[in-house]
Amino acid sequence: MLDALIAWSGGAFGEDWAARLSYLTNGKHLAWYASVRFTLIAAFAGAAIAVLCGLLGAAALRSGLAPLRWLGTLYITMVRGIPDVLFFLFFPLAFEQAVEWVMAQRLCGAEVLASSTSWPPCQAAQWYLGTGEYLALACVSLGIVYGAFAANVINGAMTAVPRGQLEAAVAYGFTQRQVFWRFQVRQMWIYALPGLSNVWMLLLKATSLLSLLQIQDMVLWANRIGAPNYIARVGTVHGDWRWRYYLALFVFYILLTLVSEYLFRRLSARAGRGMAIG
Amino acid sequence: MSLLADSAVVETARALAKPALFNIYFALASIPLGFPFALALAIGRDSRVKLIALLCRGYIYAFRGSPLFIQFFMVYSVMLAFNLEYWKPLGIDHIVLHPLFLGPLVLVLNTAAYGAEIFSGALKAVPSGQLEAARAVGMSRFQIFRSVTWPNALRIAWPAYTNEVVFLFHATALVYFTLPVIDNQKDLMNMAGELFERDYNVFLHYSVAAGYFLVISALIFWLAGLVYKRLTRHLDPQARTGMRMRPNYLR
Amino acid sequence: MIVIRPLAAVAATAALVLAGPALAADVRIATEGAYAPWNYLDDNGELAGYEIDLGNEVCARAGVECEWVINEWDSIIPNLQAGNYDVIMAGMSITDERMEMIDFSEAYFPPDPSRYIALAGAEFDFDALSGAKIGAQGATIQAAYAEENFGDGNTILTYELPDQSVADLAAGNIDIIIADGSYLEPIVEGSDGAMVFVGPDVMIGGGVGAGTRKDSADLNAAISAALVSIKEDGTLDKLMVEYFGEAAAFPE
Repeated sequence: MLDALIAWSGGAFGEDWAARLSYLTNGKHLAWYASVRFTLIAAFAGAAIAVLCGLLGAAALRSGLAPLRWLGTLYITMVRGIPDVLFFLFFPLAFEQAVEWVMAQRLCGAEVLASSTSWPPCQAAQWYLGTGEYLALACVSLGIVYGAFAANVINGAMTAVPRGQLEAAVAYGFTQRQVFWRFQVRQMWIYALPGLSNVWMLLLKATSLLSLLQIQDMVLWANRIGAPNYIARVGTVHGDWRWRYYLALFVFYILLTLVSEYLFRRLSARAGRGMAIG
Repeated sequence: MSLLADSAVVETARALAKPALFNIYFALASIPLGFPFALALAIGRDSRVKLIALLCRGYIYAFRGSPLFIQFFMVYSVMLAFNLEYWKPLGIDHIVLHPLFLGPLVLVLNTAAYGAEIFSGALKAVPSGQLEAARAVGMSRFQIFRSVTWPNALRIAWPAYTNEVVFLFHATALVYFTLPVIDNQKDLMNMAGELFERDYNVFLHYSVAAGYFLVISALIFWLAGLVYKRLTRHLDPQARTGMRMRPNYLR
Repeated sequence: MIVIRPLAAVAATAALVLAGPALAADVRIATEGAYAPWNYLDDNGELAGYEIDLGNEVCARAGVECEWVINEWDSIIPNLQAGNYDVIMAGMSITDERMEMIDFSEAYFPPDPSRYIALAGAEFDFDALSGAKIGAQGATIQAAYAEENFGDGNTILTYELPDQSVADLAAGNIDIIIADGSYLEPIVEGSDGAMVFVGPDVMIGGGVGAGTRKDSADLNAAISAALVSIKEDGTLDKLMVEYFGEAAAFPE
């Protein structure tokens, strides 16, 4: 088995497997493997923010105040009509400019504000965006976009909680607030899980866009490592190998999806214990 | 920043009009192939021939389970790797590696997988009573499919498929992030980025681009809604559900 | 002893620069990291290249702490303007169009002729070029030049990264690449005859310099002063020879 594997790897690259192994563990490749952290951070932090936005959005949609309901509807309609990648590029830039505007009002003098033609008006209002800041902004962007989807799921799940159970709770003398938190919200999660798992899959796939925000993620490294190199001093000389690296990413994301699906199935089974839903 | 100045908005809107056509083209070019491909996958997925079912399921899983962004990179680099061996000798390299061909190709591969899942669900949801009735009057399997299964499935799948078409339209925003730009063939994202690089007015240019996407998405929902009304005109009005621009159906 | 005086001046200016903005504790330099031998990621995944060595030397002489940032080429000027970093060192030619947006330091590479490469055996008549597929990196002087001179009757393909155009040429998807000669030379050399130079050399841009924002004149002066001292003591020529071959030198 191992022999076959080695023979295959030797055949595939036309080198012996040890050389191949050392190639696949050089610093460039290690950096590529390590860059998975950006993907995972963005996915988990983005998901947390998405659930938060989803809860707020659902609360707005179900609110007794009409303006709040409109706001909720506007939120999910906007997100539905705009590609995630556009928002993903727009939000960090817009947020940066907004922060710099606020800082400029506080830090730059009035005459500088009036006369300056460059942006930001003065150096003190300059906000530096590094990888960390971009990653945080990317998480928030993902959270806001997929929060709209989550809002819709949660809203639907709230409605799906059987009315009879809520009425029974009222009959037992629970207050409105208790009924809401202890019965409706608590049961809502079970109905929302399948939808939320779907939102998670969408969000996970959207993490592939991180390189658009100058984050050195897996896609950027795959691109850089796979690109042809003709110069010995730069590194291993090879032709265009990008397709191998993209293929690897393709498979990697499918595996992530498989794992996520398995975990959500387990979670659903656990959350649904004692529930009368199929 | 003249954020609200009409002239600036109009100017940007004018600059983005032609690029918007490229996004529309990519979506429109993908549907005629994506639709039948999705249907074929949906039928193949439940085929009695194990191998066909396995291949279709694997395909659907792979293309739904990975990002379109990576599918674009992957397909382009694979197609490029085949160029000297196949496309060039066949004399079709000018076509197959052109973004106007390759863009829709990847979108078709992608949307077919999502569409297959929608159609598969719809085919299973066709009322069994109608199928029994069709068998009872002696229809052949093909006749049943054509006059009972398909019309029902199409009607059931329509709202979800509309949703998928909007997703497909949004996915066109990724084409030129991954494929080379030829001459002045730029899409909305390209052009908005270019305008932004001139004056750093992120609010103006990206908002107008977003406006194009919003309006066209709304148009798709509206048109599909008209078709849906026709598809369901024989049904009890109570049983009909309207179509709205809300993320009711997740991709 | 000539070196000492500019050095002192540099240090003084640098101190001024550092005392200014509260947020800029150090200087951030942006590069593309995909433009060997100018700037690239080596097999260890570290940034390396002519500009990396040079930039580090500039920072050392200016007495400032520098940090390298990788940024895609097509947004490298906008992100400088947005203040994500302070300096661009990415093989950027000094042109009038760019000078309207940003300032350039003293040049650290002489005007570099742009050249064409093609697959061996292909022949082109550059006086009446038509039906050719010409590749260039997007937002470069070469892309603009190709558009202007060959836009009619030819197809111009622009790429995010320069090595994408090289990959497309090697795979036969394009016929010609136009790019900086200094970028293409090692590629032609390393391709074992698969790719060759064709057509005339064309002079498009000026020299290559470090780009800074219009509002950071002090930083620009500090970089230029450091570059002058690097040129004067022969360090620049040494670096150029190391990365671009024996013949490379900065003309006086």
